Amino acid sequence: MPLASPLRALLSALLVVATVAPVASAQRALTDIPVPDPAAELEAMEVAEGYEVNLFATDPAIRKPLQINFDPRGRLWVSSSSVYPQLRPGEIPDDTVTILDDTDGDGVADVSQVFASGLHMPTAVLPGDGGCYVANATEMLHLADTDGDDRADLRRTVLSGFGTEDTHHLIHTFRWGVDSRLYFNQSIYIHSHVETPSGVRRLNGGGMWRFHPSTLELDVFARGWVNPWGHAIDPWGRSLVTDGAGGEGINLGFPGAAYFTAVGTPRILHGMNPGSPKLCGLEILSGAHLPDDAQGTLVTHDFRANRVCRYRLTESGSGFESEKLPDLIRSSRVDFRPIDVKTGPDGAIYIADWYNPIIQHGEVDFRDDRRDRTHGRIWRVTAKGRALVPRFDATKLANGELIDLLTADGWARDAARRVLVERGIDEVGPDLDDWSAAARRAVPGSAGYHAGLERRCLELLWLRQGLDDGSTAAIDGALLSRVLTSPDPRARAAAARVVVDWADRLGKPGVGPDGSLGPIDLLAPTVDDENAAVRLEGVRALAAVGRRLDPGSPEARRAAALALHAVDRPRDDALDYAVWLAARDLEPAWLPALLAGSFDDGGKIGRVLFAIRAAETTAASGWMMEQWQQAGIDGAKLTGADIDALLHAVALLGTAEHLRHVFDVALAADTPPAKSASLLGHLAESQRKRKVAPAGDLAGLTRLLTSPDAALESAAVDAAGVWQVEAAAATLERIAADVDRPLVRREAACRALGNLPGQAAHDALAALGAGPTTPEPLVAAALSSLVGRSLDDASTITAAWLATGPGDGAIHEVMRAFLGARGAADRLAQALAPTTLAPSTARTALQDVTAAGRPEPGLTAVLERAAASTSGRTMTAEERAWILARVGTGADAGRGRELYRRENLRCLACHRIDREGGRVGPNLTAIGSAAQPDYLLESLLDPAKNVKEGYGSLVVVTTDGQVTSGIPVSRSDTELVLRNALDKEVRLQLADIDEEAPGTSLMPAGLVDGLSKEEIADLVRYLSSLGR
Amino acid sequence: MPSKACPWPGGLLPLAARLFIAVAICLCSQPGAAEPAGQPPFELSRGDRVVLLGDAIIEREGERGAIETALVATHPGANLTFRNLGWSGDTVWAESRGVFDAPSAGYARLLDLVRGLQPTVVIVAYGRNESFAGAAGLAPFREQLGRLCHDLRRPPREAADAPPTRIVLVTPPPFEAIPPLSAAAATARNAALSDYASAIRDVALEQGAGIVDLFGAVEAQLPAGARLTENGVHLSDAGYDAAAAVFAAACGKPLSGDFAGRTAAIRTAVNEKNRLFFHRWRPANETYLFLFRRHEQGNNAVEIPQFDPLVEAAEATVRTLAQESP
Repeated sequence: MPLASPLRALLSALLVVATVAPVASAQRALTDIPVPDPAAELEAMEVAEGYEVNLFATDPAIRKPLQINFDPRGRLWVSSSSVYPQLRPGEIPDDTVTILDDTDGDGVADVSQVFASGLHMPTAVLPGDGGCYVANATEMLHLADTDGDDRADLRRTVLSGFGTEDTHHLIHTFRWGVDSRLYFNQSIYIHSHVETPSGVRRLNGGGMWRFHPSTLELDVFARGWVNPWGHAIDPWGRSLVTDGAGGEGINLGFPGAAYFTAVGTPRILHGMNPGSPKLCGLEILSGAHLPDDAQGTLVTHDFRANRVCRYRLTESGSGFESEKLPDLIRSSRVDFRPIDVKTGPDGAIYIADWYNPIIQHGEVDFRDDRRDRTHGRIWRVTAKGRALVPRFDATKLANGELIDLLTADGWARDAARRVLVERGIDEVGPDLDDWSAAARRAVPGSAGYHAGLERRCLELLWLRQGLDDGSTAAIDGALLSRVLTSPDPRARAAAARVVVDWADRLGKPGVGPDGSLGPIDLLAPTVDDENAAVRLEGVRALAAVGRRLDPGSPEARRAAALALHAVDRPRDDALDYAVWLAARDLEPAWLPALLAGSFDDGGKIGRVLFAIRAAETTAASGWMMEQWQQAGIDGAKLTGADIDALLHAVALLGTAEHLRHVFDVALAADTPPAKSASLLGHLAESQRKRKVAPAGDLAGLTRLLTSPDAALESAAVDAAGVWQVEAAAATLERIAADVDRPLVRREAACRALGNLPGQAAHDALAALGAGPTTPEPLVAAALSSLVGRSLDDASTITAAWLATGPGDGAIHEVMRAFLGARGAADRLAQALAPTTLAPSTARTALQDVTAAGRPEPGLTAVLERAAASTSGRTMTAEERAWILARVGTGADAGRGRELYRRENLRCLACHRIDREGGRVGPNLTAIGSAAQPDYLLESLLDPAKNVKEGYGSLVVVTTDGQVTSGIPVSRSDTELVLRNALDKEVRLQLADIDEEAPGTSLMPAGLVDGLSKEEIADLVRYLSSLGR
Repeated sequence: MPSKACPWPGGLLPLAARLFIAVAICLCSQPGAAEPAGQPPFELSRGDRVVLLGDAIIEREGERGAIETALVATHPGANLTFRNLGWSGDTVWAESRGVFDAPSAGYARLLDLVRGLQPTVVIVAYGRNESFAGAAGLAPFREQLGRLCHDLRRPPREAADAPPTRIVLVTPPPFEAIPPLSAAAATARNAALSDYASAIRDVALEQGAGIVDLFGAVEAQLPAGARLTENGVHLSDAGYDAAAAVFAAACGKPLSGDFAGRTAAIRTAVNEKNRLFFHRWRPANETYLFLFRRHEQGNNAVEIPQFDPLVEAAEATVRTLAQESP
C-alpha cells in the first residue's frame, strides 16, 4: 500500500496498537472499580514529608476537570467535560466552564459559578480579556461577561479549523506567556488549518502554537511530541514541556525546534529524562508559602501511576539537566488521576484530579460503564506549619503596585502582568516609562544596584512586549539594549526573543533613545556571547529576523553570517541544533551570496562548511573545490584542519568529478591512513545517500584493500562493495578465504563481494557458504550476501546448512537476509520443505519471522512444523493466573533480573533500563510504575498484542527489492531513518522507497518459551519492580 | 476596492451575462469556446439537494445559517435540502481535507463525500486562502477550480443517466480594513483577491456554472455603519446577512423587509440541523472510528449513522417552518 504522506506513514507505524503504557491495556481487565469517596481518596494518598492535602472542590460543583487556571482576582477557572470521549447521537453537548472561589480563605471553595455551558469537550480554559478563552473541539472561543454577573453573555469564535481526530489530542494546555501571547498545544493526531488575517496556518501533528489575541498573529512555536499536556515557563522565559505519551520527561522548548514525532525534519531534539513515565501538566513552584527546597522545582503528574512527581532543573550548557525528585503524592487508588497543577493566590499547590479509573479511550470502549463521567476533584497541597501568602485582587491595584509585583513569585507575577496588559499602553504607559527610566539607570556599580534588578528590567521589557499594539508606543529600544547587555545571561537570552517581535520597528524613529540600532545590530553580540544559552537564543532570533527579510538583501546575509558565528565555539546538542536550523532557515540568504563571492565568513571556512552540511546542499561543490585549489596556491589561508573539513564536505556533497579529486587524495601515498579511511567513508556515504560515486575508474581502490591499517582496509572494503568495484573481486575473495585474518575482516570482505557483479563473486560466495570448514559467521555473511544475487543457490545451501544446527546468531543473520528480500522467504520455505530441522533451530528462525513485522505464512508454516513446540499464545488462563499469583508472592525479582540479562532472552539487546540496553523497544526503566503484572505477562507471551505508541514498526520495500522493517526514528523530505531489530539505525532515501506499510511488533514471539512458569513469574516480578 | 454596484439584481442583466458577452466576443473565433446555451442561471428548483463547499466562510455559515435560511425561506414548499461541507483553511486542492494523508487523498475523499450525498447543486466558495499566493498562484488556482467543477459535475457511475450536477461558484467577500487588518494590508490583499474573483467568474463562464459575486456585491448589501467582518477576514453576523441577501438576489429572490426577524425560527432549525450533520460527516475521533486505530474503537462507528435520522428530523422541521414562512 503506497502511502502518500510521510506523516500518514509515520503515524500508521507509530500507533499500530496500544502500548506498554500498559495501564491502558491493564485497564481493559479492570474489575475492581473503587467507590468515589473523597475522604477515602485522601486516606489513600501518601504525601511527601512536610506537606498536607485537603479537598478544595469536588463534584457536583465540578465534573471531570480538564484544565485549571487562576484569574488575577485569585479565582480558579475550571473547564469540565462529561461529553468526552465522544458525543452520543442525540446528545446536546453541555460541557462547562466553572469559576471557583474561596472567599473566606479556609482553603475550601465556597463559591461555584457556572460561567458557561453548552460547550463541546472544552479541553482548556484561560481567563483573560473580560472572560475566558476556551478550547471547543474545532475552535478556540472567547466567552465574555459584559454585565459582570460572572456568566458568559458573548460568545465569539477566535480561531477555527483545529482537528478532532482524537479527542484527547484536541487543542489544550492554554497559558499566557511572559510575552502575553496565548500559548497552546495540540497532540499528534491533530491536523489544524486555521485562517488568520495573514493567511492559513497549518499544523499537522503535535506541537505548540503561539497566538496574539489582538493581532490574531498565529505561529507554530515548536513541533512534535505526542501529547504535550504540560507547559510551564520559568522566571527567565524558558519553556518547559511534558508529554503525556512520550517518555523523555522534561523538554526544553525553543522557537522553531522539533521534538519527538515531528515529521518533515531530519533532526529532532530530546527531553532531559529519557525513560520517564508519561507526564501530564507542569508547574514551577515558587512563593513564600513553600519551603526553600521546593523553590524552582517542577511538579507534574504520572497520572497512569496515580502520583504527583517532582523534578529539579540545574542550568547546564545551553539548557538544563533535569533530575527526578521523590514524589509529592502517591495514591494507592486507581481513580486518582492528577492532570493539571497550578500555584494558587495563597501560595498553595492546586491539583486537578480528573477522577477516573479508566484513563483514555483508545483501549476501553467509549461507552464502557466503568468510565466515570460525573466526578472530579481539586486538591490543595500546603506546606505544614508555614504561613500562607496573603491573597489579594490584582485588578484592584494601581499600576505602580502591579509593576512592583512583576518580580514577585508564583501567581502574583502572572496576575500583575495580565492586569497591566489588559489595561493597555495608554493607561499603563506613563507609569511604565517612569519605572523603565529608573531600571535603565540602575546599572551595575550605580548606587542602590542589586542583582535582582536584572529580572525587573526583563519583566518591564516583557510587559512592553505584552502592551505592544503594533505602533511604536510600547517599544523601548533603550530598555531592550539594557537587557541585552545585562550581566545576567538569562536576561540576555530572553531579550533576544523580544528583538524578533519588534524587528520591524527597531532602528526606526520613535523607539526610544537608543533605538537607532536595528534588530540585527542588537542581536550581533549574542552570537559571540560567553554563555551558550545566549548564543542559542541569539542564533534562533537571527534566523527568525533573517527569514522575514528579502533573502537577497545585505541584512539577510548579515543575519546568516552572524548566526554562523556560533560555529566557532563548542556546541552542546541543543545549540548545535539551533545553528543547524538557522543555516537551513537562512539558506536562501547565504548560499547565493556564497556562490557569488559576497558572503562574509569572517575568514573562518568552518562556518560555511557547517552551513553547507546543515543545508545538505550540493550547489556549493564548485565553490568548495575553488577554495581547495586556492589553498594549494595560498596555503596559509586555510589550516590543515580546514582543508580536511573541506574535503569531507566535498566527499559528502560534491559532484562526481569533485568526488574524484577527494578519491585521489584518499588514494595518495602520502595521505595518512586514518584520513584516507575517513574520506572513503564519506565518499561511500555519498553513494549511499545520493547515488553519486567518484567519476572515472575506481580500480585503484584495490591497492588499499590490503592496507596494514585496519580502519583503512575496512573503509576500502566497504567502498569497494558500495561502488561495485569489479577489479576488487579477486582480492576480496582472497581476504574472505584467508584463515589468518581476523574473522570480522573476512566477513566484511564477504559482504563487499556480495555487492559485486559477476560470476566470480557469486562462485566465491557459494563456495564460502557451502564450505564445511568455513567459520559460522562467515557462512552467515556469505549466505546473506548470496540471497540478493541468486535466490535459488542461497536457498538450497541455506536449507542444508540449517539442517546442521548452526548457532543462533548465524541463523538470525541469514534469516534476516531472506526476510529482507522480496519473495525470498517463500523460496526458502520451498527449499526447507524436504529438510529436517532441529526444533531449536526452527524456533530461532521463527523469532526472526516475527521480528520482520509482517506475515510470511509459507515460511512460518514450515518452521512451526519443525519447531513442534507450544508457543506462549496457548498458555491456559489457569497457568497465567498461577504465574500472576506467584508474581504477588513467591517470585524473586533478583532471579528475574538475572533472567532479564540472559543473552538468549535478548531483553537487554532491545530494551533499555537506566543507561544500559538497546533502543529498539520501549525503555523499561520505569515500567513497573505504570504496568500491571497481567499486562507485563501478556506482553511477554504475545508481544504483538500491545505495541507501545512509537514502537509500531514500518515495513519498507525499496526499489532494489530489499525489505526493511524497523521503528521510525525520523523522516525528512529526502530520508527515512528506521531503527531495526538489531538496534541499528538504517537510513533509507525516500526516492528509493517503493512501498511502505505498517508492520507489527518487532519483539519476537516465544522468547520466554524456554522458561519455566516460576522463571516467568520471576521475570514479571523484576519488571514490576522497576521504577517503583 | 471592489465595485459597490449590485451586479445581479432581479430584472437587470446579470454581471455574469455581461461578462459572458465580453468573453464570448473575445473567444468567438476560438473553437471550443463555451456556448451561450451552456450558461444556466443560478436557480433552485423543487427538491434540489444542495451541497455547500468551501473554506471557513462556508464552515462558519454552518453555525450562522444565514445563507441557507435565505435560500430555504425564499423557496417555500420547494423542499430544498442543504449539506454544509465547509472546512477552515480549505482550498480548491482540498488542503484541509488530507487528515493523515496528502491533500490529493483529501481531494478524492471530498469528491466521494459529495457524490455520496447525490447533490443536484454544489455551491463552491473558494479563493480567499489561495489568494495569499498572489499573482504566482493565480493560474494554478484557476486551473484547479476548473478541474474541481468538472469533477463535481460528473455524476456517480451508478447514476450515469442522471442530469449533471449544477455548479454555482461564489467569489470571496473582500478583506475589510478593520483591526487587526490595516488599511494598507486590506488594500493590498483585495488587489490580489480581485484577480482571484475575476478568475472565478471566468471559470464560471467556461464551465457554464452559476455565479454569486460576494466580492463585488456583498458590501452593497451591508447596512450603513455595519462591519462586514469580525477581524478583517471572517464575516460578521451582519456580513452573513449581507451575503445571504446577495445569494437570494442571485437566484432571483431578493430579500425584503425584516427578513431576519421573520425567519428567526427557520434559522434556529437550520443551525440545529447543521450541528447534527457536522457530527455526522466530520465526527471527532475519526482515528479510532474509521482510520488506523479502528481495531480499537471501530465498533463505536455504528453510532455515526445514527445521526442520519436526527438530521432528517431536524430537516423536516426546517421544511415545515419554511412552508409556513410568510
